[in-house]
Amino acid sequence: MKKSNFWKRCGLFAALIFIAPLLAACIGGPTTTTWGSLSLLPGTDNILFAFGDKIVMLDPTDGQPVPLLDEDGDIRIDDSGNQRTWQVSTTSGAPAQFFTAPIQISDETLLAVSWDRGIFEIDIPTARLNDPSGVSLGAEVQVVANSLLDNDLLFVPYSGNNMSARSMDGFDPVWTLDTNQGVWSQPLLVDETLYIASLDHNLYALDPDTGDIQWQIDMGGAMTSAPLYQDGYLYIGTFNRNLQKISLESASVVASYTTNNWVWGTPALVDGVLYFGDVSGYLYVITDDGDSFSDVLPPRQVATNSIVATPLVTESSIIVGSRDKNLYWLDRETGETTATRQMNGEVLGNMLLLQPGENSDVNDDIVVVSTLTTSELVVAFTAENGERLWVYSR
Amino acid sequence: MDIIVNPFISLLTLLYSLLGYNMVLAIVVFTIIVRLLTYPLTMQQMKSSQAMQKLQPELKKLQEKYKNDREKLSQEQMKLYKEYGFNPFGGCLPLLIQFPIFIALYQAIIHVLAATPMQLLDLSGRILLPGFDQIIPLNNMFLGLNLTQPPHIGIGALETVVGILLVGGTVVTTWLQFKLTTPAPQPSEDGKPNQAQSMTQSMGTIMPLMYGFFALSFSIGISIYFIVSNIMGIVQAFASGRADVSNLKIFRRPKPVAVTAGTTSNATPGKIEGKAKPVSSGKSNTANPNSNTTPGKMEGNAKPVSSGKSNAAKTSKKTQQTDMWK
Repeated sequence: MKKSNFWKRCGLFAALIFIAPLLAACIGGPTTTTWGSLSLLPGTDNILFAFGDKIVMLDPTDGQPVPLLDEDGDIRIDDSGNQRTWQVSTTSGAPAQFFTAPIQISDETLLAVSWDRGIFEIDIPTARLNDPSGVSLGAEVQVVANSLLDNDLLFVPYSGNNMSARSMDGFDPVWTLDTNQGVWSQPLLVDETLYIASLDHNLYALDPDTGDIQWQIDMGGAMTSAPLYQDGYLYIGTFNRNLQKISLESASVVASYTTNNWVWGTPALVDGVLYFGDVSGYLYVITDDGDSFSDVLPPRQVATNSIVATPLVTESSIIVGSRDKNLYWLDRETGETTATRQMNGEVLGNMLLLQPGENSDVNDDIVVVSTLTTSELVVAFTAENGERLWVYSR
Repeated sequence: MDIIVNPFISLLTLLYSLLGYNMVLAIVVFTIIVRLLTYPLTMQQMKSSQAMQKLQPELKKLQEKYKNDREKLSQEQMKLYKEYGFNPFGGCLPLLIQFPIFIALYQAIIHVLAATPMQLLDLSGRILLPGFDQIIPLNNMFLGLNLTQPPHIGIGALETVVGILLVGGTVVTTWLQFKLTTPAPQPSEDGKPNQAQSMTQSMGTIMPLMYGFFALSFSIGISIYFIVSNIMGIVQAFASGRADVSNLKIFRRPKPVAVTAGTTSNATPGKIEGKAKPVSSGKSNTANPNSNTTPGKMEGNAKPVSSGKSNAAKTSKKTQQTDMWK
């Protein structure tokens, strides 16, 4: 082959490789894997936000990354002379993607389970990874939902077709539950029984020590959220367009409430009333009547797109985030929309309601939400009237 | 785009439920159905590009003749098209219709496999058949392999074998389809290599490699679609009599040394025949005084003496159509 031809072909090949992702991007479709996760560092009201290649700790009063302090209480300075803030990302290999809430395992250590690169231990005082390579969970293993820590076992749900319990000593698998499809919800532990809601339509009750299945129920549709436990019953939404109530005593569905579309998120239970949304943007406010449900407020399409996150309920309002990039305040008595706050990005991740308290620096109830856009990754509003307080962006 | 993607997603879901909840079978049958439905368009486009290819020598002459008078050139070109009953836009419309269809087909598979929460959430409301959205997400496991993941070569025995088969299958079927539906490069009348056709041939090497790279990077489900789509393209080329097996190097006969230049074909006015082919001496047919080119009649191919058969018929089955998935 002539030299010029060879280079021409190389150029053409490179151009095609470059054009293909561009074309794919133009074609459209979702670009991010999933949404971020908001949680609180136990014992403080500092917010941990995991999204993409970083986990950051934010001050709830101003939304600024928390500065890192040394033993003397002075702010740590990096090699460039800049103040160090609490921010974690992987430094070896391709950056790990974080979408789940870190778990505190000791006063000074957090556990972060990444989407694609396994488990990482984070030293809280220095915001550094104990092992930059992390502990691999295996090939093809991806984690969408929060893991659950109980004593010496870490229950990790996988997006593929199983979940496993891992020993906290080295994270070796103790047992594995094979499901027909992925587990995209956090496991729930109640009275020494582990409940797993799977995309394969089954709700599993397991022995947490051995992984033995005690019972399983076909719920008629996929489940993407953890069940809510209350007084011997589980409440869970499904893709079968309903919210189901399961008796743990009889291991059976005892009541069902029909919805307009898939129910993605976990319901909120406040004063005996369940609040949840569906992917059509409907909000449901219902009460449990034993073997049936009844409407407290008539179902209403609050948003023009999916409601995924669990609604927040304050004394006077129901606060709902939607994929339509709006945050809605509804009157708790009438269900009427009292305020709408437009965001730059879709609101899909869980929301936090921070209240003044002993360990808290916030003066009023504040609502913290995350979006999918970097210009408004985390935003705080007053819970009462939706006044915007601060924005964290990258 | 949703107007095409959503019905495709619905059809794929329906097939999945009819075919024993087998995602691989659903993708295979779905790809075959869409390729069959677009077959008339594919054929129309192939015919059009073939006719265009045959007109090239005449067009080139006109371009030479009127290179300083664009208006006249345009008029003469239109006259030529009219003379041969050729519509220059005849090949564009089928291509324009097919392009969104194949993008939608590709997108439907990506959406239905729903590997991530964002993709699954995006799937809500796209299934138009009542009740079928409850079987979402579709089971994307096959033989212990996750169809949403790229093949993992070197990780396990099964993964490695499947990965090699998929990547190899994609490369080979892409190459086969390209070779069978694309004419071999033919130098222009001045003896120089035809640049456009050389580029097409370069694509013939690069495209299989590129799709092999895609098969290695994209999900297994998409690789299955690539392979089935290629096989359908090959089957359609044979079914329509437009597959040119001689284009495959392994079947190509060595070029004859002695040729008779300027052999006139039996072409009749108004009928497009093959183009003039240079002789081994480097002389073009037009330069040969024996050449008997007449207006309204395309010159036939110089043919090997030994074959005793005009290449024109062979050439007429060639096409520039690169019938990929796009």
